[in-house]
Amino acid sequence: MNIDTFSKLQKEGLISDEEMQRVTHTETTRLFSLHWEIKTALYLGVLLLSGGLGILVYKNIDTIGHQVILLFIALLCIGCYAYCFRHRPPFSREKTESPNAFYDYALLLGSLTFVTFIGYLQYQYTAFGTAYGLATFIPMVVLFATAYYFDHLGILSMAVTNLAAWAGIAITPFQVLSQNDFSNHTLIYTGVALGIGLVAMAELSEKRDFKKHFAFTYRNFGVHIFFIATIAGMCMFDSWYLVWFLPAAVGVYLTWSRAFRDHSFYFVLLAVLYGYVAVSILLARAMFNHVDDIYVGFLYMIVSTVAVIFFLVNLSKKIKQP
Amino acid sequence: MIAWPTTTLDHLDIQTEAAKAHRQGCISPETLEAIRTAHPAKLYMPNPITRVGLFILTTIVVAFSTGFLLLLTITSDSMSAIRAMLIIASLLCIGALEFAISQKGSYRSGINESLLWSAVGLLCTGIFLESHNTSGSTVALVVFGLTVLGTLRYADMASAAVAYLSFLLLIFWQAMLIPHSTPVLPFLLMALSLAAYLITTRLVKRTALRHYADCLTLLRILSLITLYMAGNYFVVREVTNTMFMLELQPGQGIPGGWLFWILTVIIPPLYIFLGVRKKDAVLLRTGIILIAMIVFTVRYYHSVMPLETAMVIGGLVLTGGAWALIRYLHTPKNGFTYAASDEPGMADRLKVESLIIAQTFTPGSRPTDTHTTNFGGGSGGGGGASGDF
Repeated sequence: MNIDTFSKLQKEGLISDEEMQRVTHTETTRLFSLHWEIKTALYLGVLLLSGGLGILVYKNIDTIGHQVILLFIALLCIGCYAYCFRHRPPFSREKTESPNAFYDYALLLGSLTFVTFIGYLQYQYTAFGTAYGLATFIPMVVLFATAYYFDHLGILSMAVTNLAAWAGIAITPFQVLSQNDFSNHTLIYTGVALGIGLVAMAELSEKRDFKKHFAFTYRNFGVHIFFIATIAGMCMFDSWYLVWFLPAAVGVYLTWSRAFRDHSFYFVLLAVLYGYVAVSILLARAMFNHVDDIYVGFLYMIVSTVAVIFFLVNLSKKIKQP
Repeated sequence: MIAWPTTTLDHLDIQTEAAKAHRQGCISPETLEAIRTAHPAKLYMPNPITRVGLFILTTIVVAFSTGFLLLLTITSDSMSAIRAMLIIASLLCIGALEFAISQKGSYRSGINESLLWSAVGLLCTGIFLESHNTSGSTVALVVFGLTVLGTLRYADMASAAVAYLSFLLLIFWQAMLIPHSTPVLPFLLMALSLAAYLITTRLVKRTALRHYADCLTLLRILSLITLYMAGNYFVVREVTNTMFMLELQPGQGIPGGWLFWILTVIIPPLYIFLGVRKKDAVLLRTGIILIAMIVFTVRYYHSVMPLETAMVIGGLVLTGGAWALIRYLHTPKNGFTYAASDEPGMADRLKVESLIIAQTFTPGSRPTDTHTTNFGGGSGGGGGASGDF
């Protein structure tokens, strides 16, 4: 806070002397916070540790040393979980406050090493048979259980990513478009089903009042994967694009009305953008295939995008974040 | 000079300060409301997510409008027609930007950034298209001039950064023309960066420049980084090698290499030390980030240990160190605390952290062939959408 600004406000009579005193007091006794530095160090440390151990095991797979490393991973995993069991707050349906930041990252390290461990068991001994599903299914169950039991949003995201991987889709934020082969029709159906399922999970969490704050994570992943799948469907199915437009339109409508109820501009924005893309693809496939004029295409893009910009600007003035 | 009325920007400052004081419980909600009505700021400032959306949309508009203009010139094969169109497109961007600011009060809205950067980019392309004889210095000079203007008028941080970097590049290329200047070049750049750091640190406190505070802070960070990079062994060796064709063999050093090694290792800890002493977040954080550069430089030339061992040890050191710090700062010491500061910000609301975790996490053994996978409950047939098939 800037003391000068407040003394000016005091002179204007906008803040009382008592409030001014409080401001000066807070400002002069303010401490330098190392919160983010420590958190980043913890996160990087956990990533490096679990990543390094993961590579180390596979590099030494032919030597006797790899069993030592494996033992170390197992011990680390058990140690982390034990630490978290000891320090965890009592289970609650609501959001629980974690006792300290170290706890969050110990849990993360525990989960990451557990996934490495399962992956190794599968790789070396095919412990879960040749059905690959099981090797992703077990970590998924453990991750979901960990996320709910210890109340950890990051691990919930990992679990959701794992769920999608189990179903055969990559929904890691930066890989959702590059890693998926949408010409595979099964993938599109799976994506739609997964999206609906995740949004349903979000609704259930809120309705049943069970870990309400998890709803955002579920809905975020669900909405994205649903729209990406339906839009991919519009592009991939040559004669059925109109049929694929319908679920996209319904999705836009539902996301839109839900977002207005929650005052969440983020989902309004998603509904508008995905809706715009869907409508544009519909128009492109329905009309521009027959109109042989590139200028019309360009003009459509310019005019429609400007319209969307104005629409968004007016909307964001209407919806104020709570 | 600046595009928005200064009183409006001042009112915005007052509002943010008051909101901060309110969050810390220093002033009552009524006072906050009174301050807001007494100092209204009529600006369009969307939240960060909308900014990103508007930025992307505006960039699409600019791209297609430019494409449309270029399509009109497709029949004539002279370069100057294309040039003229690019410059017209750039002027249109500036016009739209001025309109958005004066009519809608658009401030850091994503629209501004997109239009400004497109305008500068298009203008530069228009000027330098097909001119093969222009020297690097000329390009740097033009870019410098344009971005300085952009910074002054729109207080845009990216423009300030580009202006600073193009300025350094300009000096670098000019100094290279002086005979026998090669050994001095790193020190020249270091001296310039140091000067830039000292000047911006002074200026950032000046009330007259309060609307440029963000730009100046960015310049402080950048000048600290360039100060380090100009003396970093890796940068110096590789740049000299490629620019002056020394054809160094792997393992071969550069003259005076020991000096650069000392600079490489000593500057980041120095930043951290100064940052801790002065309680300066810019120095501290830049120093911490540059530690990674030390590790990279050392590992590039000397294989101390295999990567995975280094990762494990680094991980242990980082987690252990952070754990020790949390313990140490359990009760605040020497003016440092572990408790979070008062900025809840967007990161919290969007759960950015959980997204980063999801991004860096690769699910164990991904099925390679989706056809043989057991899809689990009802996928493929279940969703309402696929019922049509």
